Amino acid sequence: MARILITVPPLIGHLNPALAVAEALTAHGHSLAWAVHARQIGEALPRGAHVFPLDGDDAAADIAVPSARGLESVRLFFEDYTFPMARAALRPLEQAVRDFRPDVMVVDHQMPAGALVARKLGLPWVSLVTTTASIQLTSPTIDAWVAAQFAELQSSYLPQQMIVERPDFSPYRMIVFSIQMLAGNARALVDAPYLFVGPAQAEFRRQVDFPWGWLDHDLRLILVTLGTISRDRDTRFFEVMMEALGGFEGIQAVMVAPAALAARAPKNVLVRERVPQLKLLDWSTAVICHAGHNTVCEALTRGIPLIVSPIRDDQPVIARQVIDAGAGLFMRHGKVTVPTARATIETLLNASSFAARAKNLGQALRAAPGAAGAASAIASIAAGGKRAA
Amino acid sequence: MTAPEGDILAAVIETIRTTINEDWIEDFPIGPETRFHDDLELESIEFVKIADAMQARFGKDLDIAGFLSGRSIQELIDLSVGDLAGFITVSA
Repeated sequence: MARILITVPPLIGHLNPALAVAEALTAHGHSLAWAVHARQIGEALPRGAHVFPLDGDDAAADIAVPSARGLESVRLFFEDYTFPMARAALRPLEQAVRDFRPDVMVVDHQMPAGALVARKLGLPWVSLVTTTASIQLTSPTIDAWVAAQFAELQSSYLPQQMIVERPDFSPYRMIVFSIQMLAGNARALVDAPYLFVGPAQAEFRRQVDFPWGWLDHDLRLILVTLGTISRDRDTRFFEVMMEALGGFEGIQAVMVAPAALAARAPKNVLVRERVPQLKLLDWSTAVICHAGHNTVCEALTRGIPLIVSPIRDDQPVIARQVIDAGAGLFMRHGKVTVPTARATIETLLNASSFAARAKNLGQALRAAPGAAGAASAIASIAAGGKRAA
Repeated sequence: MTAPEGDILAAVIETIRTTINEDWIEDFPIGPETRFHDDLELESIEFVKIADAMQARFGKDLDIAGFLSGRSIQELIDLSVGDLAGFITVSA
């Protein structure tokens, strides 16, 4: 059985798929350890997990994800979050690897310190790609800027002959939590040995109370969510949605939004700060969301079409994937008006093509090998250590 | 042939309105300082459409991709309507 070290950033969307893969690896008897920022995500790890904390005394461990929008949020995510965290994590992570002596490392794609340590110590490693935006080629300016960031990071840690243009891409395996039909058909991807496994659903999310009696099963349900990071950003979008959905015939909606909005919600809209999203999706006809990678895959896995209203990070790219796949419509987050919102919802519900395309994607997503497929790819690399390229 | 600068700015603004084609943009004030990202929430696919329309109107040799690739990421984030109009004015 193999010894496997997993490292992910302290972000729940990155941790959840890794947990699902870890569960599959553990079920096969492999020995796991986690190198993570334990202060932030230690409690979410399996009980008794072997943890190498990366927190240190360094302030980098508590870096907050910046709250800009669009391309600026991407720049800040790398410059103010990913790279400072990588620089701070290099030494403790290298020590964790020396102590644990793994056969293979499992490294989240936004945890470049893991990729550099593996390269320096000559260990096989696989990358976990939790958003397909990070494997698409973008514009020359952005690609060059990313490469420059990586050059600087590597020069402080690796000998000159080990420096490569994109150290975050594993030459062994890039395990992608999406499917080619959604992510890679019409788009240029960075050349790498991809394995598309589809979503790795975490079954162990925290239990969230929900007033199930509120749902009227004669009405169609729309779930409205901007994800956890953008929920408390501003209330304009939610106010527009409440007005657009209020009195909408045959429709009820659950909206994940600040509790303060509940008092102003129309009769057919329920406002909750947290919801059991997967269970609610099982009842939903449509989803209005920020195009977060996880929410999109969770909805499409159930064959549910979406209205996508991207705000930041990878969301514009994921939103475009949904629209190009024919499974959803666009809504401009900060600009959408009540009449436009209402018309967009009507189109999504009345034109059968969106649901039909979502259903096709759902079949492909459910057929993908998921966490079990990821686990067996990792185990075979641990056994053989062969590069795919 | 060189088009007067004001005409080019007006053409860029008109193209933005027809490309976005949503209710709010009809009377949304757009000027040289208006930024594509922060102020208009423009999608990259919409910027490509605007660039194509500008090329069709002011000359196929207008190298908007080249203009963009010569800019830093912060300059792309802050790109304004006036930046694009200015580039077309000196190139067309």
